[in-house]
Amino acid sequence: MFELLSFGPNGWGGQLLGGAAMTVAVSLSSFALGLVFGSLGASAKLSRNVVLNGLAEVYTTIVRGVPELLVIYLLFFGGGGIVMAIGRVFGYEGYIELNAFTVGVVSVGLISGAYSTEVIRGAVQAVPHGQIEAARACGMSRWLILRRILVPQTMRYALPGLGNVWQLTLKDTALISVTALAEIMRVAHVAAGSTRQPFLFYTTAAALYLVLTTVSTAAFERAERRANRGVRRA
Amino acid sequence: MHRHPPTNPNAPEAVIVDNLHKRFGPLEVLKGVSLTAHEGDVITLIGSSGSGKSTLLRCINMLEVPDEGRIVIGGEAIGLKKGRGGRTIPADARQVDRLRTRLGMVFQNFNLWTHMTILENVIEAPVHVLGVPKAEAVHRARALLDKVGILSKADSYPVQLSGGQQQRAAIARALAMQPKVMLFDEPTSALDPELVGEVLLVIRQLAEEGNTMILVTHEMGFAREVASEVVFLHQGRIEEQGPPERVLVNPESERVRQFLSRHLSNGG
Repeated sequence: MFELLSFGPNGWGGQLLGGAAMTVAVSLSSFALGLVFGSLGASAKLSRNVVLNGLAEVYTTIVRGVPELLVIYLLFFGGGGIVMAIGRVFGYEGYIELNAFTVGVVSVGLISGAYSTEVIRGAVQAVPHGQIEAARACGMSRWLILRRILVPQTMRYALPGLGNVWQLTLKDTALISVTALAEIMRVAHVAAGSTRQPFLFYTTAAALYLVLTTVSTAAFERAERRANRGVRRA
Repeated sequence: MHRHPPTNPNAPEAVIVDNLHKRFGPLEVLKGVSLTAHEGDVITLIGSSGSGKSTLLRCINMLEVPDEGRIVIGGEAIGLKKGRGGRTIPADARQVDRLRTRLGMVFQNFNLWTHMTILENVIEAPVHVLGVPKAEAVHRARALLDKVGILSKADSYPVQLSGGQQQRAAIARALAMQPKVMLFDEPTSALDPELVGEVLLVIRQLAEEGNTMILVTHEMGFAREVASEVVFLHQGRIEEQGPPERVLVNPESERVRQFLSRHLSNGG
């Protein structure tokens, strides 16, 4: 049994490890992209512009209200067409095929971003207004206030929620195994089929996910302690 | 007991407020207020809650944008224009930011930045707004913290300090910008009674050093000692103004007399 999990010629160890690396790569990229979408979404929701409010509302309502697998299918089967349509606007007539990694990162990033939008919006609103007023009274510009006061203070309110979003994002990457991208779930699925040992490989996959989530939970706890200097004593 | 010298009309004008109007929705909070602070003046704004005294103070550094009227800081008028929807907005945000560096503001609730140590709070704006080299800013910050008596708390976070210590840190933060005028918005109202004295002591010292200051306060005894001029606001208008020994001791207005009897009987 252990031979199947080894790194030898009959073992799946190397591929599983590669799958884990791919899962980490997709998760990190999707989460980062999600933070970009989330920051934009939160700014749009908090802005006084009615059009931006509406766009952000449509984004979070659709993405959070539709099964995640469906979002991935829509982008996998429709994404190429959308990109080609945009390409034609700019005069490019060729065929564009999106690779599975890009589709995976964009779709999981969209999902992650919809949840991050709400987390970041709530965190910005939790920052006491006096903190911003004190900065304005010192002559700090909007950009300086954002960088020096609002973002660090928002982080302390956002980190617990973002830790949750990260965990969801990490697990959502399993869904993009349907695009045949060789991440943990896909490798486990292929190995299970070819060795007829599904329980062994799915247990291994579960263990790999657990290792990743445990390590990242510890990392988020550290980050929270750091961001909360001066609130709870570190 | 120290008495502040009377206002000197020959000194240059540090702040001129001219015919200021401010509405919040249907409520007109300021109904045409004019006020001049000459250099070295200590002006205290008094009046019941809702009289518009805090709003007036907050208009001077544009934390509230007045609907009408003119504000001149050190000879420079703040540009205002009509924005979308007819609201008045600053014509040039950079001018407002620049003028704010000359006005030190102390808030009722201190508003120290909670994610920074006391020292970091004090050097933040000098370093990032004025571009003072960090070593020099730290040197000056430590001298200011020593002056307000909390140098030993330089590396603590605001939450670890008492209210009185936090307010003294906030005063040091405002002084670090070397402002031309200090604005105090009810600086002792959020403090436990036993902590009020230590903050008033610091403010009194600043007054004696000749700093130009505008204070909103409920501490009548203190106003009488430190002010060069007392301004009583009632429902958005100036009801009476003049030297403290007249306005606070022998006011002409019946309203001021009633206000004082209420406040003095409350031990204010």
